[in-house]
Amino acid sequence: MLVLGIETTCDETAAAVVERNTDGSARILSNVVLSQIEQHAAFGGVVPEIAARAHVEALDLIIDQAMREAGKSYDDLDGIAAAAGPGLIGGVIVGLTTAKAIALVKNKPLIAINHLEAHALTARLTDNTPFPYLLFLASGGHTQIVAVLGVGNYVRLGTTQDDAIGEAFDKTAKLLGLGYPGGPEVERQATRGDKERFALPRPMQHRKDADFSFSGLKTAVRLEAERIAPLSPQDVADMCASFQQAVVEVVHDRLRSGLRLFRARFGEPHALVAAGGVAANQAIRGALNRVAMETGTPLVAPPLNLCTDNGAMIAWAGIERLALGLTDAMDMAPRARWPLDASAAAEGARKRTAAYK
Amino acid sequence: MPGTWPGMALLVLVVRAKLPMRLLAIDTALEACSVALLDGDTVAAQETQAMARGHAEALMPMLARLQENAAFYFAVIDRIAVTVGPGSFTGLRVGISAARGIALATAKPVVGITTLEALAAPLIAGDASSPVVSVIDARHNHVYLQAFGTDGDDLVSPRVVSLAEAIELVMPLRPRLVGNGAAMLAAAWPPGEAPPAGIDQQAAPMIEWVGRLGQLADIAAAPPKPFYLRAPDAQPPTPALAAQAARP
Repeated sequence: MLVLGIETTCDETAAAVVERNTDGSARILSNVVLSQIEQHAAFGGVVPEIAARAHVEALDLIIDQAMREAGKSYDDLDGIAAAAGPGLIGGVIVGLTTAKAIALVKNKPLIAINHLEAHALTARLTDNTPFPYLLFLASGGHTQIVAVLGVGNYVRLGTTQDDAIGEAFDKTAKLLGLGYPGGPEVERQATRGDKERFALPRPMQHRKDADFSFSGLKTAVRLEAERIAPLSPQDVADMCASFQQAVVEVVHDRLRSGLRLFRARFGEPHALVAAGGVAANQAIRGALNRVAMETGTPLVAPPLNLCTDNGAMIAWAGIERLALGLTDAMDMAPRARWPLDASAAAEGARKRTAAYK
Repeated sequence: MPGTWPGMALLVLVVRAKLPMRLLAIDTALEACSVALLDGDTVAAQETQAMARGHAEALMPMLARLQENAAFYFAVIDRIAVTVGPGSFTGLRVGISAARGIALATAKPVVGITTLEALAAPLIAGDASSPVVSVIDARHNHVYLQAFGTDGDDLVSPRVVSLAEAIELVMPLRPRLVGNGAAMLAAAWPPGEAPPAGIDQQAAPMIEWVGRLGQLADIAAAPPKPFYLRAPDAQPPTPALAAQAARP
């Protein structure tokens, strides 16, 4: 089974061709990603209109490159998959519309993919991980702990009540005058800082649920920084180290809590799976390893280029859905918000969460 | 884009000439979603729906119906034409994404036609007695406009201006006004001045004319790229503490 995958929900324009063999093994034939980071850097964050403009300029060239590198023609494809949300709607419209156009002309099935589902299923592309497993998805836009029970069968066990983890790193970097994207910069500064110097809070720690909150931590960083301003380079490094340590301890605690919830409802997970760009942070990776060792759960962390946004994960999710006969109609609407499971959506509406941005 | 197309004077020829070209035309830039298949100078099939939003959902089913209603499939078209703006940023990206996606899958060229040209074309082709100004509402008392002479030449190049500036620019032409901003601009006309020679309030271009201009367009000179006429509304931030942190 051969599927083209298109990803345009945030600031990466991406396309990939993935093949699944009859024995279930997968092969990524091409995986092209064009990052817009430089176009957004001056603004200290992703600007939706700039992102949408960049996607429409580049997407057909990226798809063409992915098809060439795969050495396949559109007639060879079994389906066209595109991320239909959640994300920045301007970009989603570009990707989904392009996918529909190719599907219409070539008379192939369209598979509209939930971007979060694609992250959730990546471990099956890379490691053939069997269901069920516990997913920790952490990126600039998302922070979730999800029970992955089957294709299309997800139960959200925890989410953030305000900022995503990557967003918290970016905002801290911005506050301290560091560059964009802030995550890698905060991590770099933290390596030469004192993680004990500032007594920052550990929001949500020891709660029975598996939710996150980072706005209080962000405020604490700002108040501490204002208290000692102007900041020396060492102050900045110490602040980064202290902030990162707080996040690491929160992630460890929340994952332990998420695992407890998982076991109580669904039994033993086959793995703890990491996804999203935040998994690139070595300190957070350390926390994941610790949880895995303490609980005897194997850790599956796909390579970084498959953790961050990419077309291969969309193509793979397309293959998984197509194999079950799950395809979509030409009037499929792009969705800025699209929770993985419906009950979480209802709960989220009640709790005024802002997990889907 | 402005001035790069072959000139409206050619339109008279097109209307009469038998172009063998099969062309798919798409317009989602303004308050309509329109598609047409042209076979030479014949419109083989077309559909237009008025809509302010929802182009992303409506366009593809409409294209699927178009293919059923015409006697031929997209696989045999020679060219695609799409409106590139100015207009709704989101709307024009729907049409351009679709056109470029179809171009990928058919390996056929796609040309971009501005909404300003497409609005003016039928007026100039029908009656060359006075200049034509295309006017599109750009909100907040601004309009996108372009003025065309009686032979289709570019009298005022495409731009976004305030209503007052628009009046100053085009009033001396005593033009016919066309577009979704035509009535608005006419209402702002100073009393006592000679009124516009005509007011043609149109929500969107006629899709047939997008197609005809598309058949004419020079592929190299009419790329299917968005023609926004406006920069994204974004300012670089000035973080308070960052400035402090940078100080010694």
